[in-house]
Amino acid sequence: MALLQAEDIKAYYSVRKGYVKAVDGLDLVIEKGITVGLAGESGCGKTTLVNTLMMNVKPPLFLVEGTIILDGKVISKMDRSTLKKNVWGVLASIVPQSALNALMPTKRILDFVRDVISHHMDVSDSEVVSMAEKRFEELNLPVEALSLYPHELSGGMKQRAVIAVSTLLNPKLLVVDEPTSALDVSTQKQVLKILMDLKTTGITESMIFVTHDIAVLRQIADWIVIMYAGKIVESGSTENILHDPEHPYTYCLINAVVTPEPEVRKRGLTSIRGEPPNLLDPPKGCRFHPRCPKVMNICRSKEPVLVEIGGSRLVSCHLFPPDA
Amino acid sequence: MLMGIFGSMVYKVDPLDIVGSPEQPPSDRFPLGTDSWGRDLLALLLTGTKSSISIGVTAAVIALAVGVVMGVIAGFKGGLTDSLLMMLTDVVLVLPSLLIMMLIAAYLKERNPLFVSLIIGVTSWPWVARAMRSQIMSLKSREFIYMSRMAGLRDMRIIAEDLLPNMASYTFMAFVLLMSGGMIAEAGLSMIGYGLTKGVSLGIILYWAQILEAVRRGLWWWFIPPGVCLVALAASLLLLSTALDEYFSPRLKGG
Amino acid sequence: MPLEVKNLTKVFAVGLFRRKEILAVDGVSFSVKPGEFVSLVGESGSGKTTTAKMILRLLQPTSGSIMFDGRDVWGLRGIDELRWYWKNVHGIFQDPYASYNPLHKIDRILYQAFMLMGHSSTDKDSMVEEVLREVGLRPDDVLGKYPHELSGGQRQRIMVARCYMLRPMLILADEPISMIDASTRASVLQLFSKLREESKTSVIFITHDLGLAYYVSDEIMIMHDGSIVEKGPPDEVIDHPQDPYTKRLREDVPLLYRKWTGF
Repeated sequence: MALLQAEDIKAYYSVRKGYVKAVDGLDLVIEKGITVGLAGESGCGKTTLVNTLMMNVKPPLFLVEGTIILDGKVISKMDRSTLKKNVWGVLASIVPQSALNALMPTKRILDFVRDVISHHMDVSDSEVVSMAEKRFEELNLPVEALSLYPHELSGGMKQRAVIAVSTLLNPKLLVVDEPTSALDVSTQKQVLKILMDLKTTGITESMIFVTHDIAVLRQIADWIVIMYAGKIVESGSTENILHDPEHPYTYCLINAVVTPEPEVRKRGLTSIRGEPPNLLDPPKGCRFHPRCPKVMNICRSKEPVLVEIGGSRLVSCHLFPPDA
Repeated sequence: MLMGIFGSMVYKVDPLDIVGSPEQPPSDRFPLGTDSWGRDLLALLLTGTKSSISIGVTAAVIALAVGVVMGVIAGFKGGLTDSLLMMLTDVVLVLPSLLIMMLIAAYLKERNPLFVSLIIGVTSWPWVARAMRSQIMSLKSREFIYMSRMAGLRDMRIIAEDLLPNMASYTFMAFVLLMSGGMIAEAGLSMIGYGLTKGVSLGIILYWAQILEAVRRGLWWWFIPPGVCLVALAASLLLLSTALDEYFSPRLKGG
Repeated sequence: MPLEVKNLTKVFAVGLFRRKEILAVDGVSFSVKPGEFVSLVGESGSGKTTTAKMILRLLQPTSGSIMFDGRDVWGLRGIDELRWYWKNVHGIFQDPYASYNPLHKIDRILYQAFMLMGHSSTDKDSMVEEVLREVGLRPDDVLGKYPHELSGGQRQRIMVARCYMLRPMLILADEPISMIDASTRASVLQLFSKLREESKTSVIFITHDLGLAYYVSDEIMIMHDGSIVEKGPPDEVIDHPQDPYTKRLREDVPLLYRKWTGF
């Protein structure tokens, strides 16, 4: 059984002019024990998607339709207090994009630990401290950091501390949203290492890593899901996606990556005309059609569906019709 | 918030409409009664309010003018100019303004509203200068200023086209606060006897009430209405500034 | 030799009584030839943006010299000399939103530049429209609009269009594509290459992205803690790094065709 199953997710933002259809009819399955990279450009809906998957949905964001089953439990039907008690921090944890700035400057790291633990467990304070210390040691983090304030820690250290605290209760699924975008490459590597350690030590089972940086995914993800304008356009193993992208958008995205490697120089950089669409009024038919180099007539009027093309690989493109 | 705005609007409109009422009418039984000299207190109140407001406005304009000029020049030029101007600002800031106002007021034989505004304005500009300076300094290193500098625009033009418009909301709020502070300062000055010698204002009404012991003698219609007016005006201005702050903040953060 | 930088240093004095001193740039020296693409690579705090601002004559150096076309950049006096300089050396910044005054229409960014060119007023409009087309924008789509009405990509292209108007000898581009969608980055980079082809424009790319530097430069300079620790053609610097900082930088960059070892 998969760890997470999401069916026909429609998550919209209610704004004055109507609805921004950030996620519009999306299916997703996350197996146990793998790291999934969720990639796409800004505005494609990936942050909305992962927050929705966690049922972290507050107005103006609404889960208009869809079912989410996490570890066999239908969390899309739970109310907020049940989610707080049984899901958040315990089954699944999210480290949001602005985590670095969201830490209250007047609380020490240990205080956050207390907040997390006290919500779910009734233990003495000395136990809380020892739990925190043990976990920090396990992850090769300096125990002294626990008694510091957020501003006393470097960006990278803060991020790692946040990750450690978010996984104190061993949630099966960890979602990290652009955890390293604002960090230097060396700090980024440290943060990525701790994420890998979480899996090797068995603290978490699966991870969803949201980013626009494909090269990072190449290093840590087993599976990559590509999103565009609120829809999944392709998903497959890291190997397949990187070496054999099928969807025209995936192809462009992969070939727009620039790393200091001679292969990149040889193949050159790709770009496509136009820009990601406004989700208040997305294009009819396939959302990518105005920019697609391989556009056909059908793309302008009919939306493609996700089709399996061998080995659990999925593509949503009229180049791969369902009956083929 | 809305009531605050409308409240002050109503108060402002009335004295301007009923401007015909003379200042010292013969004693009749009027809505707010009369004072010891038999003057119509309603008329006094309305004229006085108008006067207080205009003093507040004038003082605010003076303080704003001085403060903005000092702050902008100091912030933009930096270096020695900045240090010198800021030293000057700090000196004025530290001087006990009430004392200064009293000293200046005592020297003048006749104090009409303009002079009072001047006195208040000249002692309340320092915080404006500091605020404007810090705004300028933070705006100065924004990239769009670099773009204007690289386009070879002269300094004056950059200040006029790039910096000041982006400070408009700030300036407006400073104005509102200055106005409110100015009216209260006028009242304070008047209450200690250094206010207007010519003309009427809320502060003067209170002063007269005070020296003729209206409180002790229970002549509530004399001192309560002007006091309430003053507080209401100040409060509504403060509410206005809060409302403006809410309005401007999200707009500036990127439409 | 259009640009020559010698021993450029910038010390910031901070704190209440100017007690603390921060050495942001420490004796930086390099030169740029016509039509050359050079990258100044460094992480945040390395001093690369400060260096750029000094070269752009926006921030006064503490010591050192910057010579452009044989003239001392910081010895220039008078608005006419400054305008000459900025016509020939211009800058593009990272944040396409902050580069615009939010209260003005974007047209101003382009029309402003005429100040540097001494053009007669008759062909201003047509020139503006032409450069917009050259950078891949439709004039009707962007003229008359406010910055918040356009996308980041459009805003950045308009910035580049300004350089298309000026045709400077040297452009300093501070992270010009980092805030642009990945799918359109290459086309913006192309705009710089086109300027080089057409007008022999040199570009100094200021970036933290080693991949970008490797891809686009004739010469890379690695900057760390205010000084240039390694300098040379991309193949040498990236494939055979000498300096330990460069080595570490290269090891920590996530690669597409190779996996990290021991991870």
